[in-house]
Parts: sequence; structure tokens; C-alpha cells
Amino acid sequence: MPTDMVVGFPASAAREHDLELARRAATGDRVAQHELFLEQRANVHRALFRILGANREIEDLLQDAFIEIFKALGSFRGESTLSRWCQTIAVRAAYLAISRRRPPAVELSLVEETVASDIDLRRHVQVREAARRLYAALDRIEVKQRIAFALAAIDGKSLAEVAELTGSSVFAVKTRVWRARRELMRRASKDAVLAAYLEDLDGGRP
Amino acid sequence: MTDDPRLGPPPIEPLSDAAWARVERGVWAQLDAERPVAGRGAVARRWWLVAAPLAAAAAIVAVVIAVGRAPEAIDEPSRVVTGAAPSSVLFGDSHIELDAATALVMSHEAEHPIVTLERGAAWFTVAPRQARPAFLVRAGDARVRVVGTRFRVARSGERIAVEVDHGRVEVNFRGGEVAINGGQRWSSDAPARVVASAAPPAEPPPVASPTAAPDPEVPDAPRSPPEPAPAPAHHRPAHHATAPAATAAAPAAPAADRDAAEYDRLAALEATAPRDALSGYLKLANGTSRWADLALFAAGRLAVDRHDARAESLLGDYLRRFPHGANAADARQLLLRLQAAQGDKP
Repeated sequence: MPTDMVVGFPASAAREHDLELARRAATGDRVAQHELFLEQRANVHRALFRILGANREIEDLLQDAFIEIFKALGSFRGESTLSRWCQTIAVRAAYLAISRRRPPAVELSLVEETVASDIDLRRHVQVREAARRLYAALDRIEVKQRIAFALAAIDGKSLAEVAELTGSSVFAVKTRVWRARRELMRRASKDAVLAAYLEDLDGGRP
Repeated sequence: MTDDPRLGPPPIEPLSDAAWARVERGVWAQLDAERPVAGRGAVARRWWLVAAPLAAAAAIVAVVIAVGRAPEAIDEPSRVVTGAAPSSVLFGDSHIELDAATALVMSHEAEHPIVTLERGAAWFTVAPRQARPAFLVRAGDARVRVVGTRFRVARSGERIAVEVDHGRVEVNFRGGEVAINGGQRWSSDAPARVVASAAPPAEPPPVASPTAAPDPEVPDAPRSPPEPAPAPAHHRPAHHATAPAATAAAPAAPAADRDAAEYDRLAALEATAPRDALSGYLKLANGTSRWADLALFAAGRLAVDRHDARAESLLGDYLRRFPHGANAADARQLLLRLQAAQGDKP
């Protein structure tokens, strides 16, 4: 399970660091804002990438998320880690963006001949193709279900973590993931690649 | 290769430096635009929607905070933004001359005066620090440490250039460190090399990455002959953890250094003679040194930039030869983009 605890860096020190950085950045200290941006950008990008499935259109969303983060920093109280708090805002930004306008299905393809001689590359292509189909299917299901599934089933977060990130109850998240999986399986009945990938993702669950 | 039969979740594809620079600029521009007007409406979708009026406003009135104040009077951090005209500012007993279209932030950390260069370029005249904490300049991933000198730092996106007029500075860039003496300059495009300043000033060249958009915040016209556009900041081997202050001439260099020099020469050649650069990269790629990896990728990238028909096969060759190479992820992305673009054609 992913954890925000940094090995060798006590939680209390991490919390103090988060609070101090947030406090400075909230006052408009551009140096602190820059530091926070650098610290959190990979974390925010990861959450958005998992929900969107590709980097297409992600720049606008990253921009929106960070602007919301900087605007809301004054309300950060250190009750969760700064990374988790930033991810929560990123998830909300993704929710709003997808609700406003659903992104087009991811269109990625590779010419098989180019890579057929290399096992790692073939595997890479398989993942890309399977992910393309998965996210194309996710584009067609309800946004909250999509986000819950992306964070839990694809990114491997626990239901409790997803509940925290989405501001929902664990039960609600569990239901959304279940409904999303059921809908995806229905669509996978006509798509062997998607069906195999869903089983593959399920296989990795603890 | 792995024995695990599972495919697992798709890998997180990294964003390029240029993309991050665009996001960062957009965030700061938006925050700046909203600062004087509380409670503004929805977030703008594109940073240039706010950058254009900002630039226009800046052209009329350079928004200069804390210009000429004594160090004690500076409300930290202080941000200085120039518009169409250059300007200057005192930071303690140091003098900073900002080019037009430059933004920087002045602050102190643990007694160190720190300037964060957000964009543009500036000359810094730093009085000898003696026993005082060093003067630091941050620009992207570069950290410039100064003990007393006159030097210039320029930033275009994530590309950084440093030129020292007199004195000595130390640049820490992504873990590597170089010392730059008076009359020398350094660029993040060839981070292990320090060269004589000669005629061209240290300016970061225009971003030439296939993913990069033009940077409207950086003046189009360099002040003197434009520095050739080197290869984008793709992964390169750190062949000097701490490079001595070397000059451009390096006779009797070992083979690896010769290849490194050749790679840098070809990177510089891209702007003026891209065909020759591509041929040179291919020749270098035939070798067995670690530069072959970079050269073959550079050839593929350049071919993509030039819409050369060989682009796809070069990137394919690269991935076959260096499936775990320093630029393998980028090569895959380029290949995907290339093939997606081909798919869009009627």
C-alpha cells in the first residue's frame, strides 16, 4: 500500500515541513510556491495521469490543480500530508474537468513490426494497447465511478485512501469501484484484450 | 525483461521539461493576474490568455517592487518583473540589471541572499562576500553560488546559461558541479563543459524540443549572433561529476571526451545545418561509446523535427539497440506521436 511516510524522515518533521512550506507559500512567497510546485508536481501529475490515462490535455489540468492548490493553501492544517492534500485537490480538478467535457478516447497505437523482435517492447505495446481500451471504456462510465476505479483498481490505492481523496465514504467508493468493474466487464464481453487486462489488473489486487 | 506474466498498470509517462515549464509559467501568470483582483472568476484555460494582457501592461509600466531599496527595507520575498524595458535593482549591496521581459524573486534563506530567476536574464554584480554567506541564484535546476563577481544568468524555459565577467561562480546543475571563472560561460545544454565567453553572450537558445511551444516571454532577437540551438535536455551521461574550469580547446582528449565534444558540436550544428547534424549523429551512433546511444536518439528526434522520412525507422532502431537507453521513454513517446500524426492524415 502506498504510504506518505518517508523512510528516515519522522512524520512529525514531515508535518512541520509541510505546514511551514504551506504557510510561506500561502503568503504569496514565490520561492516557497516554487519549492512546493517542485515537491508536489510528480505527485499531482500521477493522480491526474491515472484518472485521465494519458498526458493529452493534462497540462491544462495540472495548471488548474496547482492554481487551486495555491489558492487553498491557507486552509491546510496538516491533518493529512501535503502530498495527500494536493492529490485531493487534483482529483477534484479532474472530476470537474471530466464532468464539464469528457476527454476523447485515448488514441495510441504502435506498429507491431517495429517492436516485434523485442520482448520488453512487445510487452510495452501490449500495456499501451490494453490501457487505451481500458480508458476508452472508462470514458463512457460515470465520472465518480471512473475516478474511484482509476485510483483503486489501476493505481492500487486502498478504498480508505480513495475515500479520503474523493471526500466519500469507504462504502460509496467500494460501490463505485464495483459498478465500474461491472460496467467494464460488460463492455469487455466484446473485447478480449480489455477482458484480459481487467483480469490482469484484478490479479494484482491483494 | 521480467518474469512476471502480468502486464500491470500502464506506466506513468513523464512530462517533458518544456511541458513542465509551460505549466509553471501558466500557474505564475494566473496567480499574478489574480493577485490584485480578489475573487476573480473561473480559472483561465490557457496561460497565454493572461500572458498577453500582462505583457502589454508590463510594457507600459514595469512593475518593479523594491527597486533601489536598502536591504533592510525589502519586504521579503520581493518580486521584480520587467516589461519592454530593462531595469535594475539593488539587493543588499549587490546590483542586479534585469533584461526586458525578465522576472525574478529576491529572498533570504539561512542568511543567504537568494535570487530565483523565473524567466529572462540578468547581470549580477555581487560585492565580495568575504565571511558572509554566499549569494545564490536559482534558475530552473541550476544553482549558482557566488562569493563576489559580475556574472549573468539567463533562463528560457528549463534551459539555463551562465556567463561570468570577472570573479568566479560555482554552478550546481542536477547533481553535477562546475566552476566558471571570469571570461567563461556555461550552458545547461552541455552541463559538463565550460567554454570561453568569446563574442556570443550566454543566452539559452530557443527551445527546440518537439514537444516545446515557442516561448513568447523570451525576446525573439538575441543581442548578438544567436547561439546555435543545441539538442533538448535529454538524458546525457554525467561524464564529469565536477568538471574543472576548462576552455573550449581540449587537445589530446580521450575517445569518450572526443565523442562528447563531437556530440556537443553536432547539437550546436542543429540550428544552422540540421542535415549535417543528422549525418554526424548517425556516424557517431555507429560507435560503441555511451554517446552512441544519445547520438542515435538525437538523430531520430531531429528527423522527427524535420519531418524526415527516416524518423520512424531511426527511433525503431534506437529502441531495438537501446531498449533501456537513457532516452528510451522519450523515443517511445516520439514514436507514438509520430504514428498518431500519421494516423490523422487522410
